[in-house]
Amino acid sequence: MNLKRQLLLVSLLTLMLPWAGCEIIRETETALRSGQQQFLAGTASALANALTQYQAQFPVPPDAPVTNDQVYIHTLAARPVIDGYFDDWLLPEDSLRALRGTEGLTHFIFGADRQAIYLYVDVEDDSVVYAGAEPAVLDAGSRYADRINLISSSPPAQRKSFVFATAAPGRLLSYQRDERGFEPVPAIEAYWQDYPGGYRLEARIPRAILGSHLGLSVINTSSASDPGTRSSSFQGRAPGPRVEQSPIINRVAAELVQPNMRLLVTDAAGWRIASAGNLGAGSRSAGDPGFVRRIYDLIVEPGKEAAFADPDPLGREQQPYISAALQGREMAAWFRSEASGMAIVAVAAPIVVADAAIGAVVLQQGTDAVLSLTNQGLARLVNVTLLTTLLVAAVLLGYATWLSRRIRRLSQAAEAALESENLQSALPSALADDELGDLSRSFTYVLQQLGEYNAYLRTLASKLSHELRTPLAIVTSSLENLEHEPLNEASLGYTERAREGADRLRRILAAMSEASRVEELMANAEPENFDLRSVLAATTRAYRDVYADREFAFVSELSRADLSGSPELLIQMLDKLVDNAVDFSAPGDVIMIGLALVEDRLEISVTNPGPPLPEHMRTQLFDSMVSMRSGENTRHLGLGLYVARLIAEGHGGKIRAENIDGGVCFTVAIPTGEPATAQARDA
Amino acid sequence: MAKRIAIVEDEAAIRNNYAAAFKREGYAVDEYEARAPALDAFEVRLPDLVVIDVNLKDDVEGGFELCRELRARSADLPIIFLTARDSEFDAVSGLRLGADDYLTKDISLPHLMARVAALFRRLQAMQQPQAAASRITRGDLTIDTERMSVHWQEQPVGLTLTEFWLVHALARYPGHVKNRQQLMDAAQAVLDDNTITSHVKRIRRKFNTIDTGFDCIETVYGMGYRWLSD
Repeated sequence: MNLKRQLLLVSLLTLMLPWAGCEIIRETETALRSGQQQFLAGTASALANALTQYQAQFPVPPDAPVTNDQVYIHTLAARPVIDGYFDDWLLPEDSLRALRGTEGLTHFIFGADRQAIYLYVDVEDDSVVYAGAEPAVLDAGSRYADRINLISSSPPAQRKSFVFATAAPGRLLSYQRDERGFEPVPAIEAYWQDYPGGYRLEARIPRAILGSHLGLSVINTSSASDPGTRSSSFQGRAPGPRVEQSPIINRVAAELVQPNMRLLVTDAAGWRIASAGNLGAGSRSAGDPGFVRRIYDLIVEPGKEAAFADPDPLGREQQPYISAALQGREMAAWFRSEASGMAIVAVAAPIVVADAAIGAVVLQQGTDAVLSLTNQGLARLVNVTLLTTLLVAAVLLGYATWLSRRIRRLSQAAEAALESENLQSALPSALADDELGDLSRSFTYVLQQLGEYNAYLRTLASKLSHELRTPLAIVTSSLENLEHEPLNEASLGYTERAREGADRLRRILAAMSEASRVEELMANAEPENFDLRSVLAATTRAYRDVYADREFAFVSELSRADLSGSPELLIQMLDKLVDNAVDFSAPGDVIMIGLALVEDRLEISVTNPGPPLPEHMRTQLFDSMVSMRSGENTRHLGLGLYVARLIAEGHGGKIRAENIDGGVCFTVAIPTGEPATAQARDA
Repeated sequence: MAKRIAIVEDEAAIRNNYAAAFKREGYAVDEYEARAPALDAFEVRLPDLVVIDVNLKDDVEGGFELCRELRARSADLPIIFLTARDSEFDAVSGLRLGADDYLTKDISLPHLMARVAALFRRLQAMQQPQAAASRITRGDLTIDTERMSVHWQEQPVGLTLTEFWLVHALARYPGHVKNRQQLMDAAQAVLDDNTITSHVKRIRRKFNTIDTGFDCIETVYGMGYRWLSD
């Protein structure tokens, strides 16, 4: 993985920023909400306290556990027209209570205004059995009809029963049933309406004729002779107590409630006896969730669906936090609406009188304020984060590019300097104050050391040969003088051996000084124009005489190869390469000398079969005093190929060695048309 | 009377060895280890031949200086440089100062003796009338083997002893290729390839100063050289 990718990966760490931001927003949100909760809790407690003085307004909780027998009387905002339609009650459909009947469900609801109680019943019945015209036969045992009984009582008083049945849809007269029979009650206004699959009844009953307990029975018959099946709003004989909103507490609540707040007051059973205030609309129009909002929804702790916070349509509040309050514990809850974005904080506080909760105060507030605050913060956070991440990534990318370019340039310069063995100018970043600068300076130092070492190696041979020449001269001249002294047989043998040794030493010294000699020659050489092809062809012929046990082949597609340079030196170079090729091939092998024009370079190649060059030696092969021969062959000091290289470079060319299939190929590439002296080294 | 040879050499071992060899050949030898004592002695009497080392102890180019002063004093005193410095530049410098030969210390004593003898022979031949028998003529080239001198188009070509022997070896059998070994043997020296190349180049240049069209020495690549006759 390159540096750029690494740093890009590192820049991904900036994605921690939004995470941290989200954490902060969540914290803020929680803090704000808990603040709001505490404020609401305080208000709710105060309200609960205040409401204790209206103790009388709270229904006395029944001794028995709360049952479904109880009937909730909704407070109506407007007086409905008695016409069999529910829409003018201005209540949601789910405010209707359901009873299971024989032919389907029966839905009913009670409503109230100051003077009257209203009743609406919807009975699913496929076959409506109408009553006869005479009310006396309604329940006389001879003829039956589909009917609705409204039962009222004020214990311990006797219960009353009002019967609604009709001979035809439309306005109808109800009857009160008692021991004497059926008594018409003209004070009750009622309307019967049929629809396919059932009928509806709407009625208005003056408060005066009703007791504190109220119930409903629907009797369904299949024919006039069928006594019918009864389904009731209560179990047993007596109806349950009715529960109604208290006008006084409603008024008090309306005074106490604050804008954008909803206040509910329940009795001990959870029945809602007062409600006031509105939460206001959500801050967001539906269908436009928005990007930021969606993120918000993701990071903020989810609440319960906001609809659960609404007042119970059936009148009895059963949310857990309210139930808890009714058991004496103040409790808070948190609602949220995905659709409207509405968030609601709700608190329920018990109204405690004599150590018992007679009811609860429920206070709800929309958290739009909190929301918009955190919302803005979030939007800013998202923007800043996005910008920061992009900026950091861009900066890191740029930095990485710059850095890797510096490193690359440094490494290329170092390689180039290493290759040319010549540190001409300072390496890049040499003046930089950072680690790269250090690296560059270290490189420079290493390269300088290497250069000095190479220069030392290069001159070592000629210096050595020069220094050794005088002692060698002493040895040889002494030996030559000794030959003229009378010597016995043994001494002659020794001097002969000493001469041989000195002679070998002399040849070694000559080889060692050859490189400097070649450099000198090259410096003084006047380039000649000559045909390299004919020179190589002639030289190849000469090699056949010199190395009788090798075959030589000259291969070239060129008919002429004009070159400017020193033919003697090039032949000397070829001598070295051929000498090398002979050493590494076996008797009878064919050594190929080739000449080819590659682009603008003449390439002289010498190819011999034999063992491949060790890979690590390929580049050092042409250095001074590097030999790949094993120690036995003392004739070679590793100078031959170095001399070849000097001559090649003196002609502006390059020398290289390659392993080919089953052999080794040395190639010298010399640019044509360039005078040899131009590249000659200084003397 | 024995010929007097002066050896100016700072290395006592070599000096003594050379002196012993010369004495064995019947020469009288004077040994000097520095320039000053040598010059003092030469004030009194010039020797018949001087062998000088270029590098005289701390006097790095003392040999060259000595050569210049001797040549100023005598035009035909044979002077041989015998030195460990084998660079082309030094050789050219030495020869330009008028030395008759520039030899490296690689040279064997017999070879040195042969050269000294040849120089004395030439000196002697110079003082006698030219003998026709000793003359070889190849076109524009005339070689006097006694005086060891070469003329091209009747003009003398100033060759050193080594150069003379090389030209002689080549021109004796025109058209025959002489390889490097043969040339080395003829020149009474052990020379490496590059030295022979340098010598041939120098010879060509010397002929070229007389006749720019000179091209009688041909390089036979991979083999050697040959003399081309018209």
